[in-house]
Amino acid sequence: MAAHKLGMKIKANLHLLPTVGPVSIWILLFIFAPVAVIVCISFLASGQAGEILPKFSIENYRHLLFGGSEYGSAVLRSIFYAFVTNMVCLCVGFPMAYWISKYGGKFKALFLFLVIVPSWSCYIVRIYALKQLVGYPGILNNFLLNLGFISSPINILYTPAAVVLGLIYIWLPFMVLPIYASIEGINPALLEASLDLGATPRWQFLTVTLPLTKGGIFGGTILTFIPALGDWLVPLLIGGNRVWMAGNLIEHFLVVRGKIAMASSMAVILTAAVVLLIYMFIKLGGEESMERIV
Amino acid sequence: MKLLNGRRINTLLTITGYLFIWGPIIVLGVFSFNSSAYGVKWESLTLKWYVDLFHTPAIIKAVLRSLLIASVTTVFATVIGTLAGYGLYKYKFYGRRVLRMSILLPITVPYVIMAGALLVYFTRIAHIPLGYPAIIIAHISFSAPLAVFVNLGRMQRINWSLEEASVDLGANTFTTWRKVTIPLLLPSIFASAVLIFPWSFNDFTVTYFVAGVGTTTLPLYLFSMLEYSLKPVLINAISLIFIILPIILVLLVYSYKGKSKQTA
Repeated sequence: MAAHKLGMKIKANLHLLPTVGPVSIWILLFIFAPVAVIVCISFLASGQAGEILPKFSIENYRHLLFGGSEYGSAVLRSIFYAFVTNMVCLCVGFPMAYWISKYGGKFKALFLFLVIVPSWSCYIVRIYALKQLVGYPGILNNFLLNLGFISSPINILYTPAAVVLGLIYIWLPFMVLPIYASIEGINPALLEASLDLGATPRWQFLTVTLPLTKGGIFGGTILTFIPALGDWLVPLLIGGNRVWMAGNLIEHFLVVRGKIAMASSMAVILTAAVVLLIYMFIKLGGEESMERIV
Repeated sequence: MKLLNGRRINTLLTITGYLFIWGPIIVLGVFSFNSSAYGVKWESLTLKWYVDLFHTPAIIKAVLRSLLIASVTTVFATVIGTLAGYGLYKYKFYGRRVLRMSILLPITVPYVIMAGALLVYFTRIAHIPLGYPAIIIAHISFSAPLAVFVNLGRMQRINWSLEEASVDLGANTFTTWRKVTIPLLLPSIFASAVLIFPWSFNDFTVTYFVAGVGTTTLPLYLFSMLEYSLKPVLINAISLIFIILPIILVLLVYSYKGKSKQTA
Protein backbone atom coordinates (compact mmCIF):
# COMPACT_ATOMS: atom_id res chain seq x y z
CA MET A 1 0.00 0.00 0.00
CA ALA A 2 2.79 2.38 0.96
CA ALA A 3 4.51 1.44 -2.27
CA HIS A 4 1.45 2.29 -4.32
CA LYS A 5 0.97 5.64 -2.64
CA LEU A 6 4.63 6.46 -3.04
CA GLY A 7 4.44 5.60 -6.74
CA MET A 8 1.48 7.94 -7.28
CA LYS A 9 3.18 10.74 -5.44
CA ILE A 10 6.30 10.38 -7.52
CA LYS A 11 4.20 10.84 -10.64
CA ALA A 12 2.58 13.93 -9.12
CA ASN A 13 5.82 15.53 -7.96
CA LEU A 14 8.40 15.04 -10.65
CA HIS A 15 11.16 16.84 -8.76
CA LEU A 16 10.99 14.14 -6.09
CA LEU A 17 11.95 11.42 -8.53
CA PRO A 18 15.67 12.22 -8.84
CA THR A 19 16.07 13.23 -5.19
CA VAL A 20 14.22 10.99 -2.74
CA GLY A 21 13.38 8.47 -5.47
CA PRO A 22 16.48 6.24 -5.47
CA VAL A 23 16.63 5.84 -1.70
CA SER A 24 12.87 5.19 -1.45
CA ILE A 25 13.05 2.49 -4.08
CA TRP A 26 16.17 1.02 -2.50
CA ILE A 27 14.64 0.96 0.99
CA LEU A 28 11.45 -0.52 -0.41
CA LEU A 29 13.23 -3.25 -2.34
CA PHE A 30 16.00 -4.15 0.06
CA ILE A 31 14.66 -3.28 3.52
CA PHE A 32 10.87 -3.45 3.49
CA ALA A 33 10.51 -6.34 1.07
CA PRO A 34 12.92 -8.63 3.00
CA VAL A 35 11.20 -7.77 6.28
CA ALA A 36 7.78 -8.45 4.70
CA VAL A 37 9.05 -11.79 3.37
CA ILE A 38 10.31 -12.77 6.82
CA VAL A 39 6.97 -11.84 8.40
CA CYS A 40 5.09 -13.92 5.79
CA ILE A 41 7.40 -16.92 6.18
CA SER A 42 7.04 -16.79 9.95
CA PHE A 43 3.35 -17.71 9.49
CA LEU A 44 4.10 -20.76 7.33
CA ALA A 45 4.40 -24.31 8.57
CA SER A 46 7.74 -26.11 8.63
CA GLY A 47 8.26 -29.67 7.45
CA GLN A 48 10.22 -32.42 9.16
CA ALA A 49 13.60 -31.23 7.94
CA GLY A 50 12.77 -27.59 8.54
CA GLU A 51 11.74 -26.83 4.95
CA ILE A 52 8.97 -24.30 4.42
CA LEU A 53 5.51 -25.69 3.58
CA PRO A 54 3.06 -23.39 1.75
CA LYS A 55 0.47 -23.64 4.51
CA PHE A 56 -0.64 -21.00 7.02
CA SER A 57 0.24 -21.91 10.56
CA ILE A 58 0.89 -20.21 13.88
CA GLU A 59 2.59 -23.32 15.16
CA ASN A 60 6.01 -21.59 15.14
CA TYR A 61 4.77 -18.85 17.41
CA ARG A 62 2.91 -21.28 19.65
CA HIS A 63 6.05 -23.35 20.02
CA LEU A 64 8.29 -20.34 20.69
CA LEU A 65 6.00 -18.56 23.12
CA PHE A 66 4.22 -21.36 24.99
CA GLY A 67 5.92 -24.57 23.93
CA GLY A 68 8.65 -24.40 26.54
CA SER A 69 11.19 -23.45 23.86
CA GLU A 70 14.60 -22.18 24.90
CA TYR A 71 13.96 -19.06 22.82
CA GLY A 72 11.69 -17.40 25.37
CA SER A 73 14.34 -17.58 28.04
CA ALA A 74 16.98 -16.43 25.54
CA VAL A 75 14.93 -13.30 24.78
CA LEU A 76 14.43 -12.57 28.47
CA ARG A 77 18.12 -13.15 29.10
CA SER A 78 19.01 -10.81 26.22
CA ILE A 79 16.73 -8.11 27.62
CA PHE A 80 18.35 -8.51 31.05
CA TYR A 81 21.90 -8.32 29.62
CA ALA A 82 20.94 -5.32 27.51
CA PHE A 83 19.43 -3.63 30.57
CA VAL A 84 22.55 -4.15 32.69
CA THR A 85 24.73 -3.00 29.77
CA ASN A 86 22.60 0.08 29.35
CA MET A 87 22.71 0.99 33.04
CA VAL A 88 26.49 0.61 33.30
CA CYS A 89 26.95 2.59 30.06
CA LEU A 90 24.74 5.32 31.50
CA CYS A 91 26.65 5.39 34.81
CA VAL A 92 30.00 5.72 33.02
CA GLY A 93 28.86 7.49 29.85
CA PHE A 94 27.01 10.33 31.57
CA PRO A 95 29.99 11.41 33.70
CA MET A 96 32.22 11.18 30.63
CA ALA A 97 29.90 13.38 28.56
CA TYR A 98 29.46 15.79 31.45
CA TRP A 99 33.18 15.98 32.10
CA ILE A 100 34.01 16.62 28.45
CA SER A 101 31.39 19.31 28.20
CA LYS A 102 32.31 21.00 31.47
CA TYR A 103 36.06 20.60 31.79
CA GLY A 104 37.05 19.81 28.22
CA GLY A 105 37.88 23.42 27.41
CA LYS A 106 39.39 23.80 23.98
CA PHE A 107 40.14 20.07 23.82
CA LYS A 108 36.46 19.07 23.75
CA ALA A 109 36.70 17.90 20.14
CA LEU A 110 39.79 15.84 20.94
CA PHE A 111 38.17 14.17 23.96
CA LEU A 112 35.06 13.33 21.93
CA PHE A 113 37.24 12.05 19.12
CA LEU A 114 38.97 9.75 21.60
CA VAL A 115 35.59 8.30 22.56
CA ILE A 116 34.45 7.74 18.97
CA VAL A 117 37.58 6.44 17.27
CA PRO A 118 37.58 2.92 18.75
CA SER A 119 33.96 2.44 17.70
CA TRP A 120 35.01 3.04 14.10
CA SER A 121 37.39 0.14 14.11
CA CYS A 122 36.34 -3.41 13.37
CA TYR A 123 33.89 -4.90 15.82
CA ILE A 124 35.66 -8.26 15.79
CA VAL A 125 39.00 -6.66 16.48
CA ARG A 126 37.60 -4.86 19.52
CA ILE A 127 36.05 -8.01 20.97
CA TYR A 128 39.30 -9.86 20.31
CA ALA A 129 41.28 -7.10 22.05
CA LEU A 130 39.10 -7.37 25.14
CA LYS A 131 39.28 -11.16 25.08
CA GLN A 132 43.05 -11.08 24.77
CA LEU A 133 43.31 -8.74 27.75
CA VAL A 134 40.91 -10.26 30.28
CA GLY A 135 40.78 -13.89 29.15
CA TYR A 136 42.87 -16.85 30.16
CA PRO A 137 45.47 -17.32 28.84
CA GLY A 138 45.42 -13.55 28.81
CA ILE A 139 47.64 -10.57 29.33
CA LEU A 140 46.01 -9.23 32.49
CA ASN A 141 45.94 -12.67 34.13
CA ASN A 142 49.56 -13.25 33.23
CA PHE A 143 50.56 -9.86 34.61
CA LEU A 144 48.70 -10.35 37.90
CA LEU A 145 50.05 -13.89 38.31
CA ASN A 146 53.62 -12.72 37.75
CA LEU A 147 53.28 -9.94 40.28
CA GLY A 148 51.73 -12.35 42.77
CA PHE A 149 48.46 -10.44 43.19
CA ILE A 150 46.52 -13.60 42.42
CA SER A 151 47.59 -17.17 42.99
CA SER A 152 45.47 -18.86 40.34
CA PRO A 153 44.21 -17.41 37.05
CA ILE A 154 40.79 -15.77 37.06
CA ASN A 155 38.83 -16.92 34.05
CA ILE A 156 35.80 -14.83 33.32
CA LEU A 157 35.42 -15.89 29.68
CA TYR A 158 32.34 -17.94 28.78
CA THR A 159 30.33 -16.48 31.64
CA PRO A 160 27.37 -14.07 31.51
CA ALA A 161 29.54 -11.45 33.25
CA ALA A 162 32.06 -11.63 30.39
CA VAL A 163 29.30 -11.23 27.81
CA VAL A 164 27.92 -8.16 29.59
CA LEU A 165 31.45 -6.72 29.91
CA GLY A 166 31.89 -7.22 26.16
CA LEU A 167 28.57 -5.53 25.41
CA ILE A 168 29.49 -2.55 27.59
CA TYR A 169 32.86 -2.32 25.90
CA ILE A 170 31.33 -2.26 22.42
CA TRP A 171 28.40 0.09 23.04
CA LEU A 172 29.71 2.60 25.63
CA PRO A 173 30.76 5.24 23.02
CA PHE A 174 27.21 5.36 21.67
CA MET A 175 25.92 6.45 25.07
CA VAL A 176 28.40 9.31 25.42
CA LEU A 177 27.63 11.12 22.15
CA PRO A 178 23.89 11.84 22.48
CA ILE A 179 24.27 12.84 26.14
CA TYR A 180 27.14 15.16 25.25
CA ALA A 181 25.03 16.80 22.53
CA SER A 182 22.22 17.20 25.04
CA ILE A 183 24.42 18.80 27.72
CA GLU A 184 25.93 21.17 25.17
CA GLY A 185 22.43 22.16 24.12
CA ILE A 186 21.42 23.40 27.59
CA ASN A 187 20.85 27.12 27.69
CA PRO A 188 23.50 28.48 30.15
CA ALA A 189 21.01 31.13 31.31
CA LEU A 190 18.94 28.37 32.91
CA LEU A 191 21.92 27.20 34.93
CA GLU A 192 22.70 30.75 36.05
CA ALA A 193 19.07 31.33 36.94
CA SER A 194 18.98 28.25 39.15
CA LEU A 195 22.12 29.40 40.99
CA ASP A 196 20.67 32.93 41.40
CA LEU A 197 17.55 31.37 42.86
CA GLY A 198 19.69 29.67 45.47
CA ALA A 199 20.26 26.14 44.20
CA THR A 200 23.35 24.34 45.45
CA PRO A 201 25.46 22.79 42.66
CA ARG A 202 24.17 19.33 43.53
CA TRP A 203 20.57 20.50 43.59
CA GLN A 204 21.14 22.36 40.33
CA PHE A 205 22.47 19.19 38.74
CA LEU A 206 19.52 17.12 39.93
CA THR A 207 16.75 19.58 39.14
CA VAL A 208 18.06 21.44 36.08
CA THR A 209 20.86 19.62 34.26
CA LEU A 210 19.53 16.08 34.60
CA PRO A 211 15.94 16.77 33.46
CA LEU A 212 17.21 18.84 30.52
CA THR A 213 19.42 15.98 29.31
CA LYS A 214 16.54 13.48 29.38
CA GLY A 215 16.42 13.44 25.58
CA GLY A 216 20.11 12.62 25.36
CA ILE A 217 19.83 9.92 27.99
CA PHE A 218 17.01 8.14 26.20
CA GLY A 219 18.64 8.72 22.82
CA GLY A 220 21.76 7.04 24.19
CA THR A 221 19.61 4.29 25.66
CA ILE A 222 18.14 3.56 22.24
CA LEU A 223 21.67 3.45 20.80
CA THR A 224 23.00 1.03 23.45
CA PHE A 225 20.03 -1.01 24.69
CA ILE A 226 18.70 -1.92 21.25
CA PRO A 227 21.95 -3.05 19.60
CA ALA A 228 23.00 -4.86 22.80
CA LEU A 229 19.66 -6.68 22.77
CA GLY A 230 20.20 -7.87 19.21
CA ASP A 231 23.89 -8.63 19.57
CA TRP A 232 25.14 -12.07 18.64
CA LEU A 233 28.89 -11.62 18.08
CA VAL A 234 29.82 -10.79 21.66
CA PRO A 235 28.10 -13.91 23.04
CA LEU A 236 29.57 -15.95 20.19
CA LEU A 237 33.17 -14.81 20.67
CA ILE A 238 33.27 -14.11 24.41
CA GLY A 239 30.47 -16.39 25.58
CA GLY A 240 31.89 -19.24 23.51
CA ASN A 241 28.61 -21.00 22.67
CA ARG A 242 27.81 -21.28 26.36
CA VAL A 243 25.95 -18.03 26.87
CA TRP A 244 23.43 -17.59 24.07
CA MET A 245 21.40 -14.53 23.37
CA ALA A 246 18.35 -14.27 21.10
CA GLY A 247 20.48 -13.26 18.08
CA ASN A 248 22.58 -16.43 18.39
CA LEU A 249 19.49 -18.64 18.24
CA ILE A 250 18.22 -16.79 15.16
CA GLU A 251 21.56 -17.19 13.42
CA HIS A 252 21.78 -20.85 14.47
CA PHE A 253 18.31 -21.77 13.20
CA LEU A 254 18.75 -19.80 9.98
CA VAL A 255 22.29 -20.61 8.92
CA VAL A 256 23.28 -23.81 10.72
CA ARG A 257 19.99 -25.70 10.91
CA GLY A 258 18.23 -24.15 7.95
CA LYS A 259 14.90 -23.88 9.77
CA ILE A 260 13.89 -20.70 8.02
CA ALA A 261 10.27 -20.51 9.16
CA MET A 262 11.22 -20.96 12.81
CA ALA A 263 14.06 -18.45 12.54
CA SER A 264 11.66 -15.97 10.92
CA SER A 265 9.20 -16.29 13.80
CA MET A 266 12.07 -15.71 16.24
CA ALA A 267 13.13 -12.63 14.29
CA VAL A 268 9.57 -11.26 14.31
CA ILE A 269 9.27 -11.75 18.07
CA LEU A 270 12.61 -10.03 18.73
CA THR A 271 11.75 -7.18 16.34
CA ALA A 272 8.41 -6.72 18.11
CA ALA A 273 10.27 -6.48 21.43
CA VAL A 274 12.68 -3.94 19.92
CA VAL A 275 9.91 -1.80 18.43
CA LEU A 276 8.01 -1.83 21.71
CA LEU A 277 11.13 -0.79 23.65
CA ILE A 278 12.00 2.00 21.20
CA TYR A 279 8.43 3.28 21.40
CA MET A 280 8.68 3.23 25.19
CA PHE A 281 12.04 5.06 25.22
CA ILE A 282 10.75 7.73 22.85
CA LYS A 283 7.61 8.20 24.96
CA LEU A 284 9.77 8.56 28.08
CA GLY A 285 12.46 10.70 26.51
CA GLY A 286 10.33 12.85 24.21
CA GLU A 287 10.98 13.90 20.62
CA GLU A 288 14.49 15.02 21.52
CA SER A 289 15.64 11.45 22.06
CA MET A 290 14.80 10.76 18.39
CA GLU A 291 16.81 13.74 17.24
CA ARG A 292 19.79 12.79 19.34
CA ILE A 293 20.11 9.43 17.63
CA VAL A 294 21.05 10.87 14.27
CA MET B 1 33.66 20.13 49.85
CA LYS B 2 30.62 18.43 48.37
CA LEU B 3 31.34 20.02 45.00
CA LEU B 4 34.91 18.80 45.11
CA ASN B 5 33.65 15.31 45.84
CA GLY B 6 31.21 15.38 42.95
CA ARG B 7 33.88 16.64 40.63
CA ARG B 8 36.36 14.04 41.82
CA ILE B 9 33.92 11.19 41.25
CA ASN B 10 33.13 12.65 37.85
CA THR B 11 36.80 12.80 36.86
CA LEU B 12 37.45 9.33 38.24
CA LEU B 13 34.59 7.80 36.25
CA THR B 14 35.74 9.62 33.12
CA ILE B 15 39.26 8.28 33.47
CA THR B 16 37.85 4.78 34.06
CA GLY B 17 35.76 5.11 30.91
CA TYR B 18 38.72 6.17 28.77
CA LEU B 19 40.93 3.45 30.23
CA PHE B 20 38.24 0.88 29.53
CA ILE B 21 37.76 2.06 25.94
CA TRP B 22 41.44 2.34 25.10
CA GLY B 23 43.15 -0.17 27.38
CA PRO B 24 42.48 -3.35 25.40
CA ILE B 25 43.32 -1.67 22.10
CA ILE B 26 46.60 -0.20 23.34
CA VAL B 27 47.67 -3.51 24.88
CA LEU B 28 46.79 -5.30 21.66
CA GLY B 29 48.80 -2.79 19.65
CA VAL B 30 51.83 -3.12 21.93
CA PHE B 31 51.69 -6.92 21.80
CA SER B 32 51.65 -6.86 17.99
CA PHE B 33 55.36 -6.03 18.33
CA ASN B 34 55.94 -9.04 20.58
CA SER B 35 58.12 -11.81 19.19
CA SER B 36 56.36 -14.65 21.05
CA ALA B 37 53.89 -16.28 18.65
CA TYR B 38 51.28 -17.34 21.18
CA GLY B 39 52.06 -14.38 23.21
CA VAL B 40 50.50 -13.37 26.40
CA LYS B 41 54.03 -13.06 27.73
CA TRP B 42 56.32 -10.29 26.52
CA GLU B 43 59.52 -11.57 24.88
CA SER B 44 61.22 -9.07 22.62
CA LEU B 45 60.46 -6.33 20.14
CA THR B 46 59.90 -7.43 16.56
CA LEU B 47 58.31 -6.28 13.32
CA LYS B 48 58.16 -9.74 11.82
CA TRP B 49 54.36 -10.04 12.14
CA TYR B 50 53.94 -6.95 10.01
CA VAL B 51 56.30 -8.40 7.43
CA ASP B 52 54.38 -11.68 7.59
CA LEU B 53 51.17 -9.80 6.96
CA PHE B 54 52.39 -8.65 3.56
CA HIS B 55 53.56 -12.14 2.69
CA THR B 56 50.20 -13.79 3.32
CA PRO B 57 48.33 -13.71 -0.01
CA ALA B 58 44.99 -14.59 1.64
CA ILE B 59 45.18 -11.45 3.76
CA ILE B 60 46.14 -9.23 0.84
CA LYS B 61 43.24 -10.62 -1.18
CA ALA B 62 40.83 -10.12 1.71
CA VAL B 63 41.96 -6.52 2.10
CA LEU B 64 41.51 -5.87 -1.63
CA ARG B 65 38.00 -7.39 -1.56
CA SER B 66 37.05 -5.26 1.42
CA LEU B 67 38.45 -2.14 -0.23
CA LEU B 68 36.52 -2.85 -3.44
CA ILE B 69 33.23 -3.40 -1.60
CA ALA B 70 33.73 -0.36 0.64
CA SER B 71 34.58 1.89 -2.33
CA VAL B 72 31.56 0.92 -4.42
CA THR B 73 29.27 1.13 -1.39
CA THR B 74 30.62 4.54 -0.38
CA VAL B 75 30.12 6.08 -3.83
CA PHE B 76 26.59 4.74 -4.35
CA ALA B 77 25.33 5.26 -0.80
CA THR B 78 26.75 8.78 -0.56
CA VAL B 79 25.21 9.84 -3.89
CA ILE B 80 21.70 8.48 -3.30
CA GLY B 81 21.80 9.46 0.38
CA THR B 82 22.76 13.05 -0.42
CA LEU B 83 20.04 13.32 -3.07
CA ALA B 84 17.45 11.96 -0.65
CA GLY B 85 18.61 14.32 2.09
CA TYR B 86 18.16 17.23 -0.31
CA GLY B 87 14.67 16.08 -1.31
CA LEU B 88 13.64 15.52 2.29
CA TYR B 89 14.88 18.95 3.30
CA LYS B 90 13.62 21.00 0.35
CA TYR B 91 10.28 19.54 -0.60
CA LYS B 92 7.16 19.17 1.50
CA PHE B 93 5.39 16.10 0.24
CA TYR B 94 2.92 13.54 1.42
CA GLY B 95 4.71 10.68 3.20
CA ARG B 96 7.78 12.77 4.06
CA ARG B 97 7.59 11.87 7.75
CA VAL B 98 7.00 8.21 6.91
CA LEU B 99 10.03 8.18 4.63
CA ARG B 100 12.20 9.80 7.31
CA MET B 101 11.12 7.21 9.82
CA SER B 102 11.56 4.29 7.45
CA ILE B 103 15.11 5.35 6.64
CA LEU B 104 15.77 4.86 10.36
CA LEU B 105 14.52 1.26 10.19
CA PRO B 106 17.73 -0.44 9.02
CA ILE B 107 19.66 1.35 11.76
CA THR B 108 17.29 0.39 14.59
CA VAL B 109 16.37 -3.23 13.82
CA PRO B 110 19.14 -5.58 15.05
CA TYR B 111 21.69 -6.34 12.35
CA VAL B 112 21.34 -10.07 12.77
CA ILE B 113 17.65 -9.85 11.85
CA MET B 114 18.06 -7.49 8.90
CA ALA B 115 20.98 -9.55 7.61
CA GLY B 116 19.06 -12.80 7.99
CA ALA B 117 16.05 -11.29 6.23
CA LEU B 118 18.28 -10.18 3.36
CA LEU B 119 19.80 -13.65 3.09
CA VAL B 120 16.37 -15.28 2.81
CA TYR B 121 15.20 -12.58 0.39
CA PHE B 122 18.26 -12.83 -1.85
CA THR B 123 18.26 -16.62 -2.06
CA ARG B 124 14.52 -17.39 -2.09
CA ILE B 125 12.79 -14.39 -3.69
CA ALA B 126 15.06 -11.99 -5.58
CA HIS B 127 17.63 -14.56 -6.75
CA ILE B 128 20.50 -12.17 -6.36
CA PRO B 129 23.74 -14.16 -6.29
CA LEU B 130 25.50 -14.19 -2.94
CA GLY B 131 28.95 -12.65 -3.00
CA TYR B 132 29.79 -9.19 -4.32
CA PRO B 133 26.33 -8.21 -5.66
CA ALA B 134 24.54 -9.26 -2.47
CA ILE B 135 27.15 -7.70 -0.16
CA ILE B 136 27.20 -4.39 -2.00
CA ILE B 137 23.40 -4.15 -2.22
CA ALA B 138 23.09 -4.93 1.49
CA HIS B 139 25.80 -2.44 2.45
CA ILE B 140 24.13 0.32 0.45
CA SER B 141 20.80 -0.30 2.22
CA PHE B 142 22.49 0.08 5.58
CA SER B 143 24.73 3.03 4.81
CA ALA B 144 22.59 5.27 2.57
CA PRO B 145 20.53 6.30 5.65
CA LEU B 146 23.75 7.52 7.32
CA ALA B 147 24.40 9.80 4.36
CA VAL B 148 20.80 11.06 4.44
CA PHE B 149 21.04 12.10 8.09
CA VAL B 150 24.53 13.57 7.91
CA ASN B 151 23.44 15.73 4.98
CA LEU B 152 20.15 16.71 6.62
CA GLY B 153 22.16 17.94 9.61
CA ARG B 154 24.31 20.14 7.39
CA MET B 155 21.37 21.46 5.38
CA GLN B 156 19.82 22.96 8.51
CA ARG B 157 22.88 25.16 8.88
CA ILE B 158 23.74 26.37 5.39
CA ASN B 159 22.70 29.62 3.77
CA TRP B 160 20.09 28.73 1.18
CA SER B 161 19.78 32.29 -0.16
CA LEU B 162 22.89 31.53 -2.21
CA GLU B 163 20.91 28.92 -4.12
CA GLU B 164 18.01 31.35 -4.64
CA ALA B 165 20.44 34.02 -5.82
CA SER B 166 21.84 31.60 -8.39
CA VAL B 167 18.34 30.93 -9.75
CA ASP B 168 17.50 34.65 -9.73
CA LEU B 169 20.62 35.36 -11.74
CA GLY B 170 19.40 33.00 -14.43
CA ALA B 171 21.20 29.72 -13.76
CA ASN B 172 19.20 26.59 -14.53
CA THR B 173 18.64 23.83 -12.00
CA PHE B 174 21.60 21.78 -13.12
CA THR B 175 24.05 24.67 -13.06
CA THR B 176 22.77 25.75 -9.65
CA TRP B 177 23.36 22.26 -8.35
CA ARG B 178 26.81 22.03 -9.83
CA LYS B 179 28.05 25.51 -8.94
CA VAL B 180 26.23 26.27 -5.69
CA THR B 181 24.44 23.40 -3.98
CA ILE B 182 27.10 20.72 -4.25
CA PRO B 183 29.94 23.01 -3.13
CA LEU B 184 27.78 24.08 -0.17
CA LEU B 185 27.11 20.45 0.75
CA LEU B 186 30.65 19.25 0.12
CA PRO B 187 31.61 19.03 3.82
CA SER B 188 28.65 16.81 4.66
CA ILE B 189 29.05 14.74 1.49
CA PHE B 190 32.63 14.18 2.52
CA ALA B 191 31.64 13.45 6.12
CA SER B 192 29.13 10.82 4.98
CA ALA B 193 31.75 9.14 2.84
CA VAL B 194 34.15 9.12 5.78
CA LEU B 195 31.49 7.49 7.96
CA ILE B 196 30.34 4.99 5.35
CA PHE B 197 33.70 3.76 4.13
CA PRO B 198 34.91 2.38 7.47
CA TRP B 199 31.42 1.07 8.24
CA SER B 200 31.40 -0.98 5.06
CA PHE B 201 35.05 -1.98 5.40
CA ASN B 202 34.56 -3.18 8.97
CA ASP B 203 31.10 -4.70 8.74
CA PHE B 204 30.96 -8.30 9.84
CA THR B 205 27.36 -9.35 10.51
CA VAL B 206 25.74 -8.28 7.26
CA THR B 207 28.64 -9.51 5.14
CA TYR B 208 28.75 -12.83 7.01
CA PHE B 209 25.14 -13.58 6.12
CA VAL B 210 25.16 -12.64 2.44
CA ALA B 211 28.77 -13.38 1.43
CA GLY B 212 28.16 -16.97 0.32
CA VAL B 213 31.29 -18.97 -0.37
CA GLY B 214 34.55 -17.43 -1.54
CA THR B 215 33.99 -13.73 -0.96
CA THR B 216 36.04 -13.54 2.22
CA THR B 217 36.39 -9.92 3.25
CA LEU B 218 38.94 -8.89 5.86
CA PRO B 219 36.54 -9.05 8.85
CA LEU B 220 35.36 -12.51 7.70
CA TYR B 221 38.97 -13.62 7.38
CA LEU B 222 39.75 -12.30 10.86
CA PHE B 223 36.74 -14.18 12.21
CA SER B 224 37.90 -17.45 10.71
CA MET B 225 41.40 -16.84 12.07
CA LEU B 226 39.93 -16.36 15.53
CA GLU B 227 37.68 -19.38 15.29
CA TYR B 228 40.51 -21.69 14.35
CA SER B 229 43.10 -19.79 16.41
CA LEU B 230 45.53 -19.43 13.54
CA LYS B 231 48.54 -17.27 14.32
CA PRO B 232 46.94 -15.03 16.94
CA VAL B 233 49.83 -12.58 16.78
CA LEU B 234 49.11 -11.87 13.11
CA ILE B 235 45.67 -10.75 14.23
CA ASN B 236 47.29 -8.24 16.56
CA ALA B 237 49.14 -6.74 13.63
CA ILE B 238 46.00 -6.54 11.49
CA SER B 239 44.13 -5.00 14.42
CA LEU B 240 46.56 -2.15 14.72
CA ILE B 241 45.95 -1.38 11.06
CA PHE B 242 42.20 -1.40 11.73
CA ILE B 243 42.66 1.17 14.48
CA ILE B 244 45.00 3.35 12.48
CA LEU B 245 42.84 3.46 9.34
CA PRO B 246 39.96 5.47 10.86
CA ILE B 247 42.40 7.81 12.61
CA ILE B 248 44.03 8.60 9.27
CA LEU B 249 40.59 9.18 7.74
CA VAL B 250 39.61 11.59 10.48
CA LEU B 251 42.90 13.46 10.24
CA LEU B 252 42.24 13.79 6.50
CA VAL B 253 38.85 15.33 7.25
CA TYR B 254 40.37 17.74 9.75
CA SER B 255 43.04 18.89 7.33
CA TYR B 256 40.38 19.24 4.65
CA LYS B 257 38.20 21.33 6.98
CA GLY B 258 41.19 23.44 7.91
CA LYS B 259 41.93 24.10 4.27
CA SER B 260 38.35 25.02 3.41
CA LYS B 261 38.37 27.49 6.30
CA GLN B 262 41.54 29.08 5.02
CA THR B 263 40.17 29.55 1.53
CA ALA B 264 36.83 30.88 2.73
